[in-house]
Amino acid sequence: MELLSNLALGFSVALTPFTLFLAVAGCFLGTIIGALPGLGPSNGVAILIPLAFSLGLDATSALVLMTAVYYGAMYGGRISSILLNIPGDEPALMTTLDGYPMAKAGRAGDALVLSGFASFFGALFATIGLMLLAPLLSRIAYQFGPSEYFALYLLAFSTLGGIASRNQAKAALASCIGLGIAMIGLDNQTGMPRFTGGNLHLMDGVDFLVAIVGLFAVAEVFVFIESHGRESSIGVKLGKVTLPVRDLTKGIGTMLRSSVIGFIAGVLPGAGASLGSFLAYMGEKNVQGEKGGFGTGVPKGVMAPEAGNNAAAGGALVPMLTLGVPGSGTTAVLLALLLTLNITPGPTLFTDRPDVVWGLIASLLIANFVLLAMNVPMVKMFVHILSVPAWVLLPGVMMISFVGIYSLSGSYFDLLLMIFFGIVGWMFRKLDVPTVPIILGILLGNHMEDALRRAMILSDGDWRFLFGFRWHSSPGEYEFYSAIPSSLLVLAVAGFVAPIFLRRVIKKPQAVSD
Amino acid sequence: MKLSDRLFGVVVILGALAYTAGAFQIQASFMSDPVGSKTFPLMLAGVAAICGLIFVFRPDDDPAWPGRMTLGNIVIAVLVMVAYAHALKPLGFLIPTAICAAILSFQISPRPLPAAITGLGLSIGLFLIFKYALGLGLQPLPKAWLG
Amino acid sequence: MQTKIRALTLGAIMSVAGSAALAATECIAPANPGGGWDFTCRQIGKILYDIGQVDSPVQVTNMAGGGGGLAYSHVVNERGDDNNLIVAASQATATRLAQNAYAGLTADQVRFVGAIGADPGVIVVAADSPFMSLGDMVDAIKADPGSVAFGGGSAAGGFDHLKVLMVLKEAGFTDITKVKYIGLDGGGDAITQTIGGFTQGMTGDMSEIVGFLQSGEVRALAVLTEERVPGFEDIPTAQEQGFDVVAVNWRGLYVPKGISDADFEAWGARLQAVADSQEWQDAMVANGLAPFTKVGGDFQSWVDGVIADTVELSKEIGVIQ
Repeated sequence: MELLSNLALGFSVALTPFTLFLAVAGCFLGTIIGALPGLGPSNGVAILIPLAFSLGLDATSALVLMTAVYYGAMYGGRISSILLNIPGDEPALMTTLDGYPMAKAGRAGDALVLSGFASFFGALFATIGLMLLAPLLSRIAYQFGPSEYFALYLLAFSTLGGIASRNQAKAALASCIGLGIAMIGLDNQTGMPRFTGGNLHLMDGVDFLVAIVGLFAVAEVFVFIESHGRESSIGVKLGKVTLPVRDLTKGIGTMLRSSVIGFIAGVLPGAGASLGSFLAYMGEKNVQGEKGGFGTGVPKGVMAPEAGNNAAAGGALVPMLTLGVPGSGTTAVLLALLLTLNITPGPTLFTDRPDVVWGLIASLLIANFVLLAMNVPMVKMFVHILSVPAWVLLPGVMMISFVGIYSLSGSYFDLLLMIFFGIVGWMFRKLDVPTVPIILGILLGNHMEDALRRAMILSDGDWRFLFGFRWHSSPGEYEFYSAIPSSLLVLAVAGFVAPIFLRRVIKKPQAVSD
Repeated sequence: MKLSDRLFGVVVILGALAYTAGAFQIQASFMSDPVGSKTFPLMLAGVAAICGLIFVFRPDDDPAWPGRMTLGNIVIAVLVMVAYAHALKPLGFLIPTAICAAILSFQISPRPLPAAITGLGLSIGLFLIFKYALGLGLQPLPKAWLG
Repeated sequence: MQTKIRALTLGAIMSVAGSAALAATECIAPANPGGGWDFTCRQIGKILYDIGQVDSPVQVTNMAGGGGGLAYSHVVNERGDDNNLIVAASQATATRLAQNAYAGLTADQVRFVGAIGADPGVIVVAADSPFMSLGDMVDAIKADPGSVAFGGGSAAGGFDHLKVLMVLKEAGFTDITKVKYIGLDGGGDAITQTIGGFTQGMTGDMSEIVGFLQSGEVRALAVLTEERVPGFEDIPTAQEQGFDVVAVNWRGLYVPKGISDADFEAWGARLQAVADSQEWQDAMVANGLAPFTKVGGDFQSWVDGVIADTVELSKEIGVIQ
């Protein structure tokens, strides 16, 4: 059994005391970060990356720590959703719909425990899915040439736009801005400087970490200054925490359905956890029908989105690891981490660095159990953290961001750039321009352009190559060598257009923006 | 009123034009590369300009922009951050951090004493964490003071 | 600015002390931690101290930017006579200098003190490729240049690209701008594209292909060294096949221009000592490097030759005017 020996390798990496310690520490930090209003997995991982790097962790350890934070934040996000009616992060949004009413009705403890179990179920399902599916997906790699990659990147941007904003044009613009920023620096193919204005700092391009921390963390500070910290008072008291066995057993079907939906949504490049929780909630609402009482504070209404978003979080790792295409904001940040560590995720990752991949998978399995322990019996501890007032929390987040970026490059040019991104991030939030596509654009811009240029070099400028047609000079005719590029392009167009029509059918909740 | 989006659209179009101009500044490519250094940036500028036009002609409703007071606060916060970025190297970590954190704290919740305590606490606490738990080579105080 | 002041102060202290042995040696890696230059600094620095060639541990400074250009200009402009400074370099440094990628700085503004290991250049095809030798491939390109596309880990005009062009020039093929080359993100990607049939050949370094050679998915047509590489004796050299091309990605050091000849020779001798150490032999094996030792004046003239060749070739393909 190849799978078993791979897993054994993974556990041999993950079960060293140090890695285990990192996983536990990461889960703990992640749950806190997720629970804090406004600090989601993306911000949390983004803030911690420069620090992890300055610790000098090796690739596997850094990856274990960060994915533990990622999973932890996905669990933690539900806490502030349920207790404060403020999603800790975007995917936890759907959890507010039934979680907060449950809490108001005096069942806050039940809601937290049930959602904790649902998170565990979803995440475990996804980790097993990742284990079984990822090696299969990685074999597709040799089928992917420049045209295929170009179509794939296009698909990522178009589907991401579909869920990131209520206005498709704004999502498209955000992608363009990110891609445009990626063009700054030396041209990959020719080595010519582009858009640098002769500034030496810009020769190597704009560091994506600077953009990430600016757009997420710094912008958050402005949002809080604007609201004068009004959003930070605990609204609901937490009563006794017990295990509602009946609700749990009745919800197994719900969790299973939601996990499947969430995982599939996560695997699609560019969809991610928000889509996972949204689809899981909407799907389960339809299954339960009118009698289900979704939206009034029912247990299943809490379990569905939590299973969905945690399953999607795991699913999103599949395209990130095997194809190098992140499925969500957070996996985009994780991709940034991998690149910084000189690991190029992609088809060869599973053969080149089995220690990294299987170590990661084993750590995720371990992290799930750690998180279940932390988030069910120990949930009260995390609730206390929510009582840290915003006027302590936000300056703290700010200072950590500054030191993180400063320790990375030691240049105040990057700090100024980060502040600039913060201002832009705040204004874009006001204007409902999503920021996740900007990050994705900065990360993938050069790859996308390179794919296009490589394709055109190979085909001598014949654009039909982008659709899977190859010219053969000897018989003098076109060969349709692969259906992959065309299929991906069709999906990309559908992914971009569909939300425009869907939006008229389903009224999405107001706050589904970045 | 839908002024915000219209204005934003105009800014986007101007930005796209500036980007186009920047793309034409790129030196010509030397190799037999059918796409070249300019094409992709120009495509991006084109799509962005179309988006800008959409905002101008089909704008969303205006968001709730903050009042003059709050806007002033945000400007102050930006200035404090910029000053912090410049002060970090010459003045060391502790003093700029305490001041900057205190001002930000005051802006979120305008009470002087808790803000001052927050500033001091964060400055010292974070320094200890960064220096000893994470091993970052931070310099605590101005170089001149340390001799 | 601050570094400048520090360098000046350092210079002042040293001239007062009259001896360089007092200050610790600094090795600048012109890239972020983790890459080849960083490896060079850390390995050589560690061994220098371990075998007693320097008195205190070598301090490694990472100075990333401009593909090594930032560090180069720092050394030329601010550390021009620092005899306690060594800087990691490789074939990439030479290629970029030859192609004027360091904003007007030239190769004669520093002294190349030695190389002590190299990653041999290779040309590789997929296991099912019709090309059985380098000659087969060259013939196919001569017949129809568009029929063979190469993938490599460097940008167009970079070293991987130049390797192919050197072979073709040697074979008497003059229309080298017709050769199809796509630059990918590293040798791994280039190999994947070749196995997938999107490119017909891969040009890269030996260390990049070892895994794929072992799995049998690719065949190496030629290695671009003077002799066959230990451990890979079944791969013929290009010279054996009648193409007199040697292209290796050497790992070495440069030092500032303004140091005395005695100091320059001393660094050469120290580097020779590192090359001879068991520790370095082990490090080379662990990192897929082949032995390649040239120090002092020998190395400087060899680098000058490489740069002159690169300039000529780059002009022909139009990378530089």
